[in-house]
Amino acid sequence: MKSDLWQISPGFEEVMPAEYRELVDNGPFGKKLGVADMGTFKELLEEHPLCAGCGLALSLRLTLIALPNPEDTIIVGATGCSSLAFPQVSVHNIHSLFGNQNAVATGLKRALSLRFPGQVKDVVVIAGDGATCDIGLEAVVHSWFRGEKLATIMLDNEAYANTGGQESGMSRIGTVLNMAPQGKKFSKVNFPEIAKAAGCAYVAVAEPSRPKRLEQAVRRAILVAREIGPAYVQLFTPCPTNYKFKPSETLSLIKKREQEGVFQTMEYLSPEAEAYIKQIEEAKR
Amino acid sequence: MYVAAKVDENKCNGCKLCIWSCPDPNVIILHPNKKVSINQSRCKGCGLCVIACKREALSIDS
Repeated sequence: MKSDLWQISPGFEEVMPAEYRELVDNGPFGKKLGVADMGTFKELLEEHPLCAGCGLALSLRLTLIALPNPEDTIIVGATGCSSLAFPQVSVHNIHSLFGNQNAVATGLKRALSLRFPGQVKDVVVIAGDGATCDIGLEAVVHSWFRGEKLATIMLDNEAYANTGGQESGMSRIGTVLNMAPQGKKFSKVNFPEIAKAAGCAYVAVAEPSRPKRLEQAVRRAILVAREIGPAYVQLFTPCPTNYKFKPSETLSLIKKREQEGVFQTMEYLSPEAEAYIKQIEEAKR
Repeated sequence: MYVAAKVDENKCNGCKLCIWSCPDPNVIILHPNKKVSINQSRCKGCGLCVIACKREALSIDS
Protein backbone atom coordinates (compact mmCIF):
# COMPACT_ATOMS: atom_id res chain seq x y z
CA MET A 1 0.00 0.00 0.00
CA LYS A 2 1.23 3.49 -0.75
CA SER A 3 2.15 5.43 2.35
CA ASP A 4 -0.01 8.42 1.40
CA LEU A 5 -3.27 6.46 1.37
CA TRP A 6 -3.99 6.98 5.06
CA GLN A 7 -2.99 10.64 5.05
CA ILE A 8 -5.70 13.29 5.39
CA SER A 9 -6.36 15.37 2.26
CA PRO A 10 -5.14 18.99 2.60
CA GLY A 11 -7.79 21.27 4.12
CA PHE A 12 -9.62 18.47 5.93
CA GLU A 13 -7.35 18.15 8.98
CA GLU A 14 -9.65 20.10 11.30
CA VAL A 15 -12.88 18.29 10.46
CA MET A 16 -11.46 14.78 10.92
CA PRO A 17 -12.06 13.11 14.31
CA ALA A 18 -9.26 13.45 16.87
CA GLU A 19 -8.68 9.67 16.90
CA TYR A 20 -8.10 9.65 13.14
CA ARG A 21 -5.62 12.51 13.36
CA GLU A 22 -3.74 10.69 16.13
CA LEU A 23 -3.63 7.59 13.94
CA VAL A 24 -2.16 9.55 11.03
CA ASP A 25 0.40 11.36 13.19
CA ASN A 26 1.41 8.55 15.52
CA GLY A 27 -0.06 5.34 14.11
CA PRO A 28 1.74 2.04 13.45
CA PHE A 29 1.28 2.00 9.65
CA GLY A 30 4.48 1.33 7.78
CA LYS A 31 6.65 1.43 10.89
CA LYS A 32 7.10 -2.29 11.75
CA LEU A 33 6.25 -1.85 15.42
CA GLY A 34 5.66 -4.69 17.84
CA VAL A 35 4.69 -5.56 21.39
CA ALA A 36 7.99 -4.14 22.69
CA ASP A 37 6.98 -0.64 21.49
CA MET A 38 3.56 -0.65 23.16
CA GLY A 39 2.49 2.50 24.95
CA THR A 40 4.45 4.78 22.65
CA PHE A 41 2.18 4.81 19.58
CA LYS A 42 -1.50 5.04 18.75
CA GLU A 43 -2.94 1.55 18.59
CA LEU A 44 -5.17 0.14 15.88
CA LEU A 45 -7.92 -0.61 18.38
CA GLU A 46 -9.92 2.30 19.76
CA GLU A 47 -11.99 2.48 22.96
CA HIS A 48 -14.15 -0.66 22.80
CA PRO A 49 -17.31 -1.78 24.63
CA LEU A 50 -15.99 -5.07 26.00
CA CYS A 51 -16.06 -5.73 29.78
CA ALA A 52 -13.41 -4.58 32.23
CA GLY A 53 -10.70 -7.20 32.57
CA CYS A 54 -11.74 -9.02 29.38
CA GLY A 55 -9.06 -11.50 28.29
CA LEU A 56 -10.48 -11.45 24.77
CA ALA A 57 -9.99 -7.68 24.49
CA LEU A 58 -6.38 -8.01 25.66
CA SER A 59 -5.70 -10.79 23.15
CA LEU A 60 -7.34 -8.83 20.35
CA ARG A 61 -5.25 -5.79 21.21
CA LEU A 62 -2.02 -7.80 21.22
CA THR A 63 -3.01 -9.59 18.00
CA LEU A 64 -3.58 -6.29 16.21
CA ILE A 65 -0.18 -5.02 17.35
CA ALA A 66 1.44 -8.25 16.21
CA LEU A 67 0.15 -7.93 12.63
CA PRO A 68 3.33 -7.80 10.51
CA ASN A 69 1.79 -5.62 7.82
CA PRO A 70 -1.36 -3.86 9.14
CA GLU A 71 -1.84 -1.60 6.11
CA ASP A 72 -2.19 -4.61 3.79
CA THR A 73 -4.21 -6.80 6.12
CA ILE A 74 -7.90 -7.58 5.92
CA ILE A 75 -9.58 -9.10 8.95
CA VAL A 76 -12.61 -11.32 8.58
CA GLY A 77 -14.59 -11.40 11.80
CA ALA A 78 -17.52 -13.41 13.02
CA THR A 79 -20.40 -12.82 15.40
CA GLY A 80 -19.43 -12.97 19.04
CA CYS A 81 -17.76 -10.82 21.67
CA SER A 82 -14.93 -9.98 19.26
CA SER A 83 -17.41 -8.57 16.74
CA LEU A 84 -18.40 -5.91 19.29
CA ALA A 85 -14.85 -4.54 19.09
CA PHE A 86 -14.42 -4.68 15.31
CA PRO A 87 -16.16 -1.37 14.56
CA GLN A 88 -13.37 0.24 16.62
CA VAL A 89 -10.54 -1.46 14.69
CA SER A 90 -8.74 0.67 12.11
CA VAL A 91 -7.86 -2.23 9.80
CA HIS A 92 -10.15 -3.26 6.94
CA ASN A 93 -12.56 -5.78 8.33
CA ILE A 94 -15.53 -7.75 7.12
CA HIS A 95 -18.38 -9.13 9.17
CA SER A 96 -20.52 -11.78 7.51
CA LEU A 97 -22.85 -14.51 8.73
CA PHE A 98 -22.15 -16.45 11.89
CA GLY A 99 -19.81 -19.29 11.02
CA ASN A 100 -18.95 -18.61 7.38
CA GLN A 101 -15.90 -16.45 8.12
CA ASN A 102 -13.41 -18.85 6.52
CA ALA A 103 -15.55 -19.22 3.40
CA VAL A 104 -15.68 -15.42 3.04
CA ALA A 105 -11.94 -15.21 3.64
CA THR A 106 -11.30 -17.86 0.98
CA GLY A 107 -13.08 -15.85 -1.69
CA LEU A 108 -11.40 -12.68 -0.54
CA LYS A 109 -7.93 -14.18 -0.64
CA ARG A 110 -8.49 -15.60 -4.13
CA ALA A 111 -9.86 -12.29 -5.41
CA LEU A 112 -6.94 -10.36 -3.91
CA SER A 113 -4.38 -12.69 -5.48
CA LEU A 114 -6.01 -12.10 -8.88
CA ARG A 115 -6.37 -8.34 -8.46
CA PHE A 116 -2.94 -7.72 -6.90
CA PRO A 117 -0.64 -10.48 -8.20
CA GLY A 118 2.78 -10.45 -6.58
CA GLN A 119 1.75 -8.14 -3.74
CA VAL A 120 1.50 -9.15 -0.11
CA LYS A 121 -2.11 -9.13 1.06
CA ASP A 122 -2.80 -10.89 4.34
CA VAL A 123 -6.25 -12.22 5.08
CA VAL A 124 -6.64 -12.96 8.79
CA VAL A 125 -9.70 -14.61 10.32
CA ILE A 126 -10.32 -13.58 13.92
CA ALA A 127 -13.30 -15.35 15.44
CA GLY A 128 -14.49 -16.68 18.74
CA ASP A 129 -14.66 -20.30 19.81
CA GLY A 130 -18.34 -20.60 18.90
CA ALA A 131 -17.78 -19.38 15.36
CA THR A 132 -14.68 -21.50 14.82
CA CYS A 133 -15.33 -24.77 16.61
CA ASP A 134 -19.13 -25.09 16.78
CA ILE A 135 -21.17 -23.17 14.24
CA GLY A 136 -18.47 -22.54 11.63
CA LEU A 137 -16.69 -25.86 11.98
CA GLU A 138 -17.53 -27.00 8.47
CA ALA A 139 -16.31 -23.80 6.78
CA VAL A 140 -13.17 -23.67 8.92
CA VAL A 141 -12.11 -27.28 8.51
CA HIS A 142 -12.89 -27.33 4.80
CA SER A 143 -10.78 -24.22 4.21
CA TRP A 144 -7.91 -26.18 5.77
CA PHE A 145 -8.66 -29.27 3.66
CA ARG A 146 -8.44 -27.11 0.55
CA GLY A 147 -5.14 -25.64 1.74
CA GLU A 148 -6.30 -22.03 1.54
CA LYS A 149 -3.56 -19.62 2.58
CA LEU A 150 -5.37 -18.06 5.54
CA ALA A 151 -4.40 -17.39 9.13
CA THR A 152 -7.23 -18.41 11.45
CA ILE A 153 -7.08 -17.02 14.97
CA MET A 154 -9.49 -18.35 17.56
CA LEU A 155 -10.19 -16.24 20.65
CA ASP A 156 -11.17 -19.05 22.99
CA ASN A 157 -13.15 -17.75 25.97
CA GLU A 158 -14.74 -21.16 26.55
CA ALA A 159 -18.36 -19.95 26.33
CA TYR A 160 -20.91 -18.06 24.25
CA ALA A 161 -20.22 -14.99 26.32
CA ASN A 162 -22.27 -12.18 24.79
CA THR A 163 -25.56 -14.09 24.69
CA GLY A 164 -25.62 -14.78 28.42
CA GLY A 165 -23.24 -17.69 28.90
CA GLN A 166 -24.13 -20.89 27.06
CA GLU A 167 -21.65 -23.76 26.94
CA SER A 168 -19.61 -24.10 23.77
CA GLY A 169 -17.61 -27.00 22.40
CA MET A 170 -14.49 -25.43 23.88
CA SER A 171 -15.85 -25.25 27.44
CA ARG A 172 -14.25 -27.68 29.83
CA ILE A 173 -16.15 -30.70 31.12
CA GLY A 174 -18.32 -29.89 34.15
CA THR A 175 -18.39 -26.15 33.45
CA VAL A 176 -21.45 -24.51 35.02
CA LEU A 177 -22.56 -21.30 33.34
CA ASN A 178 -25.66 -19.12 33.53
CA MET A 179 -27.36 -20.96 30.69
CA ALA A 180 -25.72 -24.34 31.38
CA PRO A 181 -26.81 -25.00 34.99
CA GLN A 182 -26.30 -28.78 34.90
CA GLY A 183 -22.66 -28.55 33.84
CA LYS A 184 -21.15 -29.50 30.53
CA LYS A 185 -21.38 -33.20 29.73
CA PHE A 186 -18.45 -33.77 27.35
CA SER A 187 -14.84 -32.64 27.41
CA LYS A 188 -13.17 -29.70 25.66
CA VAL A 189 -12.62 -30.25 21.95
CA ASN A 190 -8.93 -30.71 21.16
CA PHE A 191 -9.01 -28.28 18.28
CA PRO A 192 -5.24 -27.85 17.73
CA GLU A 193 -5.00 -31.59 16.96
CA ILE A 194 -7.91 -31.29 14.52
CA ALA A 195 -6.05 -28.42 12.84
CA LYS A 196 -2.89 -30.50 12.54
CA ALA A 197 -4.79 -33.44 11.08
CA ALA A 198 -6.69 -31.16 8.67
CA GLY A 199 -3.45 -29.97 7.11
CA CYS A 200 -2.47 -26.73 8.85
CA ALA A 201 1.18 -25.88 8.28
CA TYR A 202 1.38 -23.92 11.51
CA VAL A 203 -0.58 -24.54 14.72
CA ALA A 204 -0.02 -22.67 17.98
CA VAL A 205 -1.75 -22.26 21.32
CA ALA A 206 -0.86 -19.04 23.15
CA GLU A 207 -2.21 -16.83 25.91
CA PRO A 208 -2.07 -13.08 26.62
CA SER A 209 -0.07 -13.20 29.85
CA ARG A 210 3.08 -13.76 27.75
CA PRO A 211 2.64 -11.07 25.07
CA LYS A 212 5.90 -11.73 23.24
CA ARG A 213 5.05 -15.37 22.67
CA LEU A 214 1.58 -14.39 21.51
CA GLU A 215 3.16 -11.92 19.10
CA GLN A 216 5.55 -14.57 17.80
CA ALA A 217 2.71 -17.04 17.27
CA VAL A 218 0.53 -14.53 15.38
CA ARG A 219 3.43 -13.28 13.24
CA ARG A 220 4.59 -16.75 12.34
CA ALA A 221 1.03 -17.80 11.51
CA ILE A 222 0.58 -14.87 9.12
CA LEU A 223 4.00 -15.40 7.50
CA VAL A 224 3.33 -19.12 7.02
CA ALA A 225 -0.11 -18.32 5.60
CA ARG A 226 1.50 -16.06 2.99
CA GLU A 227 3.63 -18.77 1.42
CA ILE A 228 3.10 -22.28 2.74
CA GLY A 229 -0.51 -23.00 3.68
CA PRO A 230 -3.20 -22.60 6.33
CA ALA A 231 -2.22 -21.55 9.84
CA TYR A 232 -4.17 -21.77 13.08
CA VAL A 233 -3.59 -19.95 16.38
CA GLN A 234 -5.69 -20.56 19.47
CA LEU A 235 -5.59 -17.87 22.15
CA PHE A 236 -6.91 -18.67 25.61
CA THR A 237 -8.88 -15.63 26.77
CA PRO A 238 -10.71 -16.13 30.09
CA CYS A 239 -14.06 -14.38 30.53
CA PRO A 240 -14.58 -12.77 33.97
CA THR A 241 -18.23 -11.95 33.33
CA ASN A 242 -19.46 -15.48 32.64
CA TYR A 243 -16.98 -17.46 34.72
CA LYS A 244 -17.65 -15.19 37.73
CA PHE A 245 -14.16 -14.27 38.82
CA LYS A 246 -12.78 -10.83 39.56
CA PRO A 247 -11.71 -8.84 36.48
CA SER A 248 -8.25 -8.40 38.00
CA GLU A 249 -7.71 -12.19 38.09
CA THR A 250 -7.86 -12.81 34.34
CA LEU A 251 -4.12 -13.27 33.88
CA SER A 252 -3.52 -15.06 37.18
CA LEU A 253 -6.24 -17.56 36.20
CA ILE A 254 -4.24 -18.51 33.11
CA LYS A 255 -1.15 -19.11 35.24
CA LYS A 256 -3.20 -21.13 37.74
CA ARG A 257 -4.58 -23.29 34.94
CA GLU A 258 -1.05 -23.85 33.67
CA GLN A 259 0.16 -24.93 37.11
CA GLU A 260 -2.77 -27.32 37.43
CA GLY A 261 -1.80 -28.81 34.07
CA VAL A 262 -5.19 -28.27 32.40
CA PHE A 263 -3.89 -25.68 29.95
CA GLN A 264 -0.61 -25.62 28.10
CA THR A 265 0.80 -23.64 25.23
CA MET A 266 2.13 -25.46 22.20
CA GLU A 267 3.58 -24.78 18.78
CA TYR A 268 3.69 -27.05 15.75
CA LEU A 269 5.36 -26.30 12.44
CA SER A 270 5.28 -28.55 9.42
CA PRO A 271 8.78 -29.23 8.00
CA GLU A 272 8.21 -26.78 5.11
CA ALA A 273 6.95 -24.07 7.46
CA GLU A 274 9.91 -24.61 9.76
CA ALA A 275 12.38 -24.18 6.91
CA TYR A 276 10.55 -21.05 5.72
CA ILE A 277 10.45 -19.44 9.18
CA LYS A 278 14.12 -20.28 9.72
CA GLN A 279 14.99 -18.66 6.40
CA ILE A 280 13.05 -15.47 7.30
CA GLU A 281 14.51 -15.21 10.80
CA GLU A 282 18.06 -15.67 9.54
CA ALA A 283 17.53 -13.00 6.88
CA LYS A 284 16.42 -10.58 9.62
CA ARG A 285 19.70 -11.01 11.47
CA MET B 1 -18.74 5.52 42.01
CA TYR B 2 -16.09 5.68 39.30
CA VAL B 3 -13.03 3.47 39.66
CA ALA B 4 -9.71 4.11 37.91
CA ALA B 5 -6.07 3.19 38.42
CA LYS B 6 -3.47 5.70 39.63
CA VAL B 7 0.31 5.73 39.26
CA ASP B 8 2.89 6.56 41.90
CA GLU B 9 5.55 8.15 39.69
CA ASN B 10 8.30 7.66 42.27
CA LYS B 11 7.91 3.89 42.16
CA CYS B 12 7.39 3.47 38.39
CA ASN B 13 10.43 2.35 36.40
CA GLY B 14 8.82 2.00 32.97
CA CYS B 15 8.93 -1.81 32.72
CA LYS B 16 5.67 -1.85 30.66
CA LEU B 17 4.15 -4.85 32.49
CA CYS B 18 1.02 -2.76 33.10
CA ILE B 19 0.77 -1.83 29.42
CA TRP B 20 1.00 -5.49 28.41
CA SER B 21 -1.76 -6.48 30.83
CA CYS B 22 -4.30 -3.74 30.05
CA PRO B 23 -7.22 -4.94 27.90
CA ASP B 24 -8.02 -1.43 26.73
CA PRO B 25 -5.89 0.33 24.14
CA ASN B 26 -4.29 3.75 24.58
CA VAL B 27 -5.12 3.90 28.31
CA ILE B 28 -1.63 3.51 29.78
CA ILE B 29 0.90 5.68 27.96
CA LEU B 30 4.66 5.43 28.29
CA HIS B 31 6.43 8.79 28.29
CA PRO B 32 10.00 9.36 27.09
CA ASN B 33 11.15 9.77 30.72
CA LYS B 34 10.23 6.05 31.33
CA LYS B 35 7.20 6.79 33.48
CA VAL B 36 3.67 5.72 32.66
CA SER B 37 0.54 7.78 32.96
CA ILE B 38 -3.07 6.62 32.93
CA ASN B 39 -5.86 8.19 30.95
CA GLN B 40 -8.36 8.34 33.83
CA SER B 41 -11.38 8.91 31.62
CA ARG B 42 -10.76 5.70 29.67
CA CYS B 43 -9.68 3.36 32.48
CA LYS B 44 -12.39 0.77 33.24
CA GLY B 45 -10.88 -0.06 36.63
CA CYS B 46 -10.42 -3.82 36.16
CA GLY B 47 -7.21 -3.88 38.23
CA LEU B 48 -5.14 -6.13 35.96
CA CYS B 49 -2.31 -3.58 35.90
CA VAL B 50 -2.28 -3.37 39.72
CA ILE B 51 -1.66 -7.13 39.93
CA ALA B 52 0.88 -7.07 37.08
CA CYS B 53 3.03 -4.29 38.62
CA LYS B 54 5.91 -5.79 40.59
CA ARG B 55 6.91 -2.50 42.24
CA GLU B 56 3.41 -1.72 43.55
CA ALA B 57 3.42 1.58 41.74
CA LEU B 58 -0.21 1.30 40.68
CA SER B 59 -3.22 1.43 42.91
CA ILE B 60 -6.93 1.38 42.31
CA ASP B 61 -9.45 3.36 44.30
CA SER B 62 -12.60 5.32 43.80
